[in-house]
Amino acid sequence: MVLLVDDEQRFAQMLAKRLELRGIQTDVFFSGEKALKAVEAGKHFHVAILDVKMPGISGIELKRKLSQADPQMKFIFLTGHGSCTDYETGICEAEDYLTKPLKIDRLVQVINRLVES
Amino acid sequence: MKEQISKKLGIVETRFPGNRKEYLHAYYTFQDYGQIWGMTIFVLLAASLLPLVIMTIIHYQLIERSIDTESLLRTERLASNARRAVTFFLEERLDALTFTANEMSYRQLSDLTSLSTVLKNLKLGFGGLTDLSLIDDTGNQVAYAGPFSLEGKDYSSQPWFIECQKNNACVSEIFLGYRDVPHIVVAVKSQRPDGRFYVLRATLATERLIQTLSSFRTGEHADIFLVNREGLLQTPSQHYRDGSQHVTIPVPEYSDRTKSLMTIDNQGHPIAVGYAYITTNIVPTTFVLMVVKRKESMMKVWLDLRAQINWVFGVSSVIIAIVIFLTSSFMVNKIYQADREKAKTMALAEQNFQLASIGQLAAGVAHEINNPLALINETAGYVRDLFMIKQQYKDDQELIEHIDAIIDAVERCGTITRQLLGFARRFDIQTQAIRLQDMVDDVLNFHKKEAQYRNISLRVNIPDDIPDIKTDRGKLQQIVLNLVNNAFQAIDDDCFLEISAAMEDPEHVELVIRDNGSGIPEEHLSKIFEPFFTTKKEGQGTGLGLSITYGLVQELHGTIRVDSNVGEGTAFFITLPIEVDKEMQS
Repeated sequence: MVLLVDDEQRFAQMLAKRLELRGIQTDVFFSGEKALKAVEAGKHFHVAILDVKMPGISGIELKRKLSQADPQMKFIFLTGHGSCTDYETGICEAEDYLTKPLKIDRLVQVINRLVES
Repeated sequence: MKEQISKKLGIVETRFPGNRKEYLHAYYTFQDYGQIWGMTIFVLLAASLLPLVIMTIIHYQLIERSIDTESLLRTERLASNARRAVTFFLEERLDALTFTANEMSYRQLSDLTSLSTVLKNLKLGFGGLTDLSLIDDTGNQVAYAGPFSLEGKDYSSQPWFIECQKNNACVSEIFLGYRDVPHIVVAVKSQRPDGRFYVLRATLATERLIQTLSSFRTGEHADIFLVNREGLLQTPSQHYRDGSQHVTIPVPEYSDRTKSLMTIDNQGHPIAVGYAYITTNIVPTTFVLMVVKRKESMMKVWLDLRAQINWVFGVSSVIIAIVIFLTSSFMVNKIYQADREKAKTMALAEQNFQLASIGQLAAGVAHEINNPLALINETAGYVRDLFMIKQQYKDDQELIEHIDAIIDAVERCGTITRQLLGFARRFDIQTQAIRLQDMVDDVLNFHKKEAQYRNISLRVNIPDDIPDIKTDRGKLQQIVLNLVNNAFQAIDDDCFLEISAAMEDPEHVELVIRDNGSGIPEEHLSKIFEPFFTTKKEGQGTGLGLSITYGLVQELHGTIRVDSNVGEGTAFFITLPIEVDKEMQS
C-alpha cells in the first residue's frame, strides 16, 4: 500500500491512477492533516509519497510526524526542484526524492525498491 | 601616429579608443581620449611656450632697438669728431690766408719773392699747402709761388673765383684744374687801397685731408669720406663707390648739425650713416662728410647674446615639451584607466541588477509553470497508460507517438524550470570546511574517462598552503562542475584543462579554471552570464548553465569573471571568501 499526499488534486489523482494501472495500490490525500489522521487511525502504508510544498503541514513536517506514528514507513519526496546537496534541510531525511514533472517508471522503480527492502 | 609615438615611449599603456570594449561605451565619461590627450598637450604647450616666445621676441626687439640707438650714437660721434677735424683743417688754412691778406699789403704780396717767403712760412706753420697765388679783380693771376708754372692764368670763369667774389672767401671742391692734380682751392678776398679787390689763393694737396679722415676709420666695414652735395666722391671710399666716382648711397638731406640714420646699402646690408655738412666759420663748403658703418660689424656682442638666448629658448622649449608630453600622457592615461574602471563597475552593477530582476521573474514563472507541467505530464502519461493497456488502441502507433511527443516536451519544459529555479533560488547556505583539492578531484572524477578517451590533459595546481574554505559544498561543487562541463564542451581533443588556486588576499581565494579551447568571441563575453543566452543549436542547450553558476557564486558572496580570446582559450576567475559566514555578517 502506498500513501500519496499532494495538494494538487488532479495531479494526485492521475498519478494514483497510473500507479494503480501498474499494480500499486494507492491511497490519495489532498492535505497532510487528512493523511496524518488516517495513519494515526491505524492505517498502514509501506511507502509514503509526499509533496514537499503544501499549504498547512509541509511535506517535511508531515514526514516527521508520520515517522513518529509509523516508524516502519519509507518516504519519497516530490519537489518542484532541488536536490539533497543544495536544497532545504529535510529532503535528505527521506529515502529518496524525485523532481516534478516525474518519470513514472523511475517512481515505480523506487517504490518497488523501498517495498522490497 | 600619435598612438605609435605613445606606444614607443611606453607611456600610454593603452590605446584609448581602440582598446575600448563596445559594451562599456555608454558608461565612459569622455568619448575620445586620444583627442583629450592631444588637446591637453596642445593647450599646455601653448600656455607655457607662448609667454616664452613673446618674452624672447620682446627681448630681441629691445636689444635690437638699443643696439640701433647705440650704433647711431657711435656713428654720429665719429662723424662729429671727423667733422671737427675737417672743419678745423680748412678753417686753419682760411684763417692763415686771411691773416696774410690783412698783414701784408697788395704790393708786398704781388712781389714774387715775398710771396714765396709767405708760402714757405705757411708751409712751415700749417703744412698741406702746395702753392700760393695772388689774383686781381679781373681773375688774372698776378703772382704765383709754387711748383707749377701757372703765371698769368685767367681764373675769372672758375667757380671758386666767382664764389669768392660773392662770399669774400671760398673753399672749392676737389678738382684737377690746369695742373691736372687733385687739389682744393682755398681763397680769401681782400681790398686794395684803391678800392679794388684781390684774391689770395692757396691750393691744398688732398693727401693731408685724406690722412686726417683715415685716422678716424675704425673697425671693419667702417668707411669715412667726403662727397659733394651731388654725391661725387671727394675722398676715396672703400666700399661705397661706383664707376663714375659717385657714392652708392644717397646723400642725406641738409642739416646744420651732425646727424645719423639707419638705412640699407645697395647690397642690402643694414648700415648706420653719420653725416655732417661741412661749414667753416668764414664760408660754407660743398663738402658733406659721411661715416658709414655696417650694422652687423657693430652687432657682434648682440649676435653672441642672441645665439645664447636662442640656445636657452630652444633647450627650455624642448624640456617643457617633453615634460608636458610625459605629464599629460601619464595624467590622461590615469584618467582613462579610472574611467574604464568606473565604466566596468557601472556595467557590472547594471548587469547584476538585471540578472537579479530576471532571476526573480524566472523563479516566479518557473514555480507557476511547474505544477501545470506536472499535471500535463501525468495526464498525458495516464492517457498513454490507457492506450497501452486497452487492446483497441494498442496497435495505434501514431497516437502513442503523439503522446510521447507531449511527454518529451513536458520533460524539456521541466528541465528549463528546474534550471530557472536554480538560477534564482536564495536559500540558506550550509557551510562546512572544504579542502579545495578534494573537491576539485571529486568533480574531475566525473570526467576522467572522457578525458582519457579524448586525450585531454587535466592539470590541477592547488598549493598545499591554501587553507580549507568554509562555504556551501553543494553550491561550490555545482559551480566547478558547471564550468568544467562547459570547458569540456569548448575544447577539442588533445587540449588541456587546468584548475588552479591562489590566495588573492588573506580573506579570499581565487580559483581559476582555464582551457585552451575555442574561446568566446568578444561580443558574447558580456552576455554569457545572462539566462537563456546560448550559442548552441535550439534544443541542445538552455543557456542557463553559466547564469546558474553566476547566481551560485553570488550566493557564496564571491565574484566571477571571464577572460577569453578566440582561438586561445578561456579562463574563468572565481574569487571566494575563505569564510562565507564572516562575509555575510559584514
